[in-house]
Amino acid sequence: MTEVLITIEEASTPEKNIKIVHIGGQLDESNIDEKIKEIYALLEANPQNLNLIFDLENLEYMNSKSIGYLTDIYGKITEGGGEMVIAKARQNIADILQVVGLTQLIQSVESTEAAKTALSS
Amino acid sequence: MENAENKDQEVKITITLPTNAYFISGIRDFTLNMVKSSTNFEEKWAYRFQSVIDELCNNAIEYGSAPGSDIRITFQYKKDDYLKISVEDTGTGKNKLNAAGLQKLFNERKTPGYAFTGIRGRGLVKIVGEWSDEIKFEDRPEGGLKISITKFMKDARKSEESLKNSAPQVQQKPATITI
Repeated sequence: MTEVLITIEEASTPEKNIKIVHIGGQLDESNIDEKIKEIYALLEANPQNLNLIFDLENLEYMNSKSIGYLTDIYGKITEGGGEMVIAKARQNIADILQVVGLTQLIQSVESTEAAKTALSS
Repeated sequence: MENAENKDQEVKITITLPTNAYFISGIRDFTLNMVKSSTNFEEKWAYRFQSVIDELCNNAIEYGSAPGSDIRITFQYKKDDYLKISVEDTGTGKNKLNAAGLQKLFNERKTPGYAFTGIRGRGLVKIVGEWSDEIKFEDRPEGGLKISITKFMKDARKSEESLKNSAPQVQQKPATITI
């Protein structure tokens, strides 16, 4: 199984329930189905008004299935009245997100601070 | 890598690996390093080809070759001209499609405005399709599918026929690696 590390950081403000999901390593066919459960568990625990920032600074690779999951998570979050922003994606990750059209759906910014600002606006 | 340094020479590398997603990260690393060190494609294309090969291999593993079988990957390139990648499966997978069926699926999903609703299905059209100039689906005589893509460094959408006419004969014995 390819190595990937997902950690979840609490970043809520008095107004918003915000979590930062830090993903490092490579998301591919060998690990995505197992690792994505950590994020779906977070969604189950926060079905309403969850705001997620995906910090992809240390993500080296993601495949199309990972992008499919991100799209599904985005749908679930927005259905629950929350928002989702991608932060600090490397050039190759930003490139693949763009080619599949995900950047038309989900805002991508250069820092977690900018992501928090995007969630507040 | 004397031959790889000759920009007019076509280099061919074939890799055979078991039907297991575990091995694909090594193929991605190989692709990245090979494109960076042996071709004059811009660096962003090394990462793009990494994604293309990953999607083609995952497709072959999921739909084409049963566990215990194998898939064959072939890289052909000229340093300043093109990179062609072929992935062949054995047709033993339980969800196998023939070339016509896969071409039909590809064409449907390539239609502007097609809505991808599931987790899967974006890779072949949105990644492999977008990042190649030519894509070809073929049934293998011995069973299974061969999917080939070609990306030209300069003349995008150059016809395959012109590639055949312009490419010199491979002079050296092609490299073959079996995992």
